[in-house]
Amino acid sequence: MNAPVDPENAVPRSERSQARRFGGWREHHGWSAAASLRRLGGRPLGTLMTVAVLGLALALPLAFYLLLANVQAMGSALGQNPAVSVFLKADQAGAQAKLLAGELRDRTDVAAVTLKTPQQGLDELATLQGFSGAVHALDDANPLPWVLVVQPRAGLDAAAVDALVQALRSERSVDLVQDSGQWRQRLDALLGAGHRVVLVLAGLLALAALLVVGNTVRTDIASRSEEIGVLLLLGASRAFVRRPYLYAGIWYGLFGGVLASLLALAIELALAGPAAELDRAYGGALTLGALPWWLLFAAPLAAAVLGWIGARLVSAWQLRKAA
Amino acid sequence: MIRFDQVSKRYEGGHEALSQLSFEVAAGEMAFVTGHSGAGKSTLLKLIALIERPSHGQIVVDGQSLAKVGRGGIPRLRRRLGMVFQDHRLLMDRTVFANVELPLMIGGIAPAERSRRVRAALEKVGLLSYERQLPDSLSTGEQQRVGIARAIVARPAVLIADEPTGNLDPQLAVEIMGLFAEFQDIGTTVLVASHDLPLIKRMRKRVVVLDHGRLVADIASEEVL
Repeated sequence: MNAPVDPENAVPRSERSQARRFGGWREHHGWSAAASLRRLGGRPLGTLMTVAVLGLALALPLAFYLLLANVQAMGSALGQNPAVSVFLKADQAGAQAKLLAGELRDRTDVAAVTLKTPQQGLDELATLQGFSGAVHALDDANPLPWVLVVQPRAGLDAAAVDALVQALRSERSVDLVQDSGQWRQRLDALLGAGHRVVLVLAGLLALAALLVVGNTVRTDIASRSEEIGVLLLLGASRAFVRRPYLYAGIWYGLFGGVLASLLALAIELALAGPAAELDRAYGGALTLGALPWWLLFAAPLAAAVLGWIGARLVSAWQLRKAA
Repeated sequence: MIRFDQVSKRYEGGHEALSQLSFEVAAGEMAFVTGHSGAGKSTLLKLIALIERPSHGQIVVDGQSLAKVGRGGIPRLRRRLGMVFQDHRLLMDRTVFANVELPLMIGGIAPAERSRRVRAALEKVGLLSYERQLPDSLSTGEQQRVGIARAIVARPAVLIADEPTGNLDPQLAVEIMGLFAEFQDIGTTVLVASHDLPLIKRMRKRVVVLDHGRLVADIASEEVL
């Protein structure tokens, strides 16, 4: 105990080079990252629960994104060539139908016109499940009219297609005009609303994640208030004291984000079977999408940033009280 | 060097802990502050460490006027002080080595240098062989010595101690005070708050006596009987 005094160890020293300061700062970052990770590992149940809550909260927007993307893909696949069906009046003969078809082909907003005879219509009807009996009951009487299937020129906007439909309706020989593109417009409107809902939901769930991390870090800080007091007395800056808690926030967010990505992948896998069935039912016309890989990587990174923000806000507030 | 110039400290509620206190401890000098409980010893040390601010007067520590130290400058000032507490304030979940290492980590000292200085400080207080133990496994006196090693490891200009021998047996208390005297011998300014009069007399150092926050006696070392 009474070893001789070493002057080098007792005489006050003042300044160190900037390079050494930076080295110390960098080293403390490494220490803080490792120490906060150890602390998280030291209470596995609490950490697991926090990460699970974060993972579930962040997986929901990903799942909704997946759902919307697929509905959109289905809509695109099914509505690639929206056609306008023009049903002529029953008393119209084939000659008038052919004349009208020729006139329509001359229009600049029309790409193609296909003429369907009443017999072709009946044959199509007979192929539909449950209609063959009814068709046979008709004997030779065919109540179906001539039909023109009008394909609008590609790239027409909704207003131009509307104008074409109105023009067709105004034809004297036309009984009924059915615009199969309308459902697509409605779907697009619904998808637009859906996107907005997903954005709002993602924002709210991100806020929830931020609060979860913030509250967990607040508890961490409260449980280590004695240590914080000692560090401040020894001359630690607030940044120094705060650093391990910021890393804790980053770890919580990162692990929660990884879990969210894994959950989203699991949802995608679970839906893969039914989606393939649906695709087969539509003859392979549907191109159902998966979550983009960048999103699966971006989600944990974004969550880590969220965790850092939550920890930063709470630790700044808590340390202001402690100082 | 520590200088108090007409320093008063009045807490919210009106209690005046220090009143018009003036004294100076020269660089490299060791002095005791004594007085009965509530005399203002702890408040005096809190003012030096900027845990509290004076209501009136000026304090200069190691050439720096504390009135000019803003909130952001407090950590820098505290890094130039070594502080020893009666209750040690060790972190019980860290080893003896890690506790002593703290001021050096805070100061951004490189790991190799830290390791060398921590071992030197532990050797000085006779605890080098305990470096890997947790403080819980040490006796009260050993814990206090860890606290002292932590206070001196960053080579502070000023060392302040609040009742550092309060929980120790007389023999150990003398040994601890001997350590403080050694730091004074190599140029560190040492100010120890204690109410252990027999120990203070035995050390034969300057004694500043407080009563109800006022300086009632300033006894030079050669006058201590």
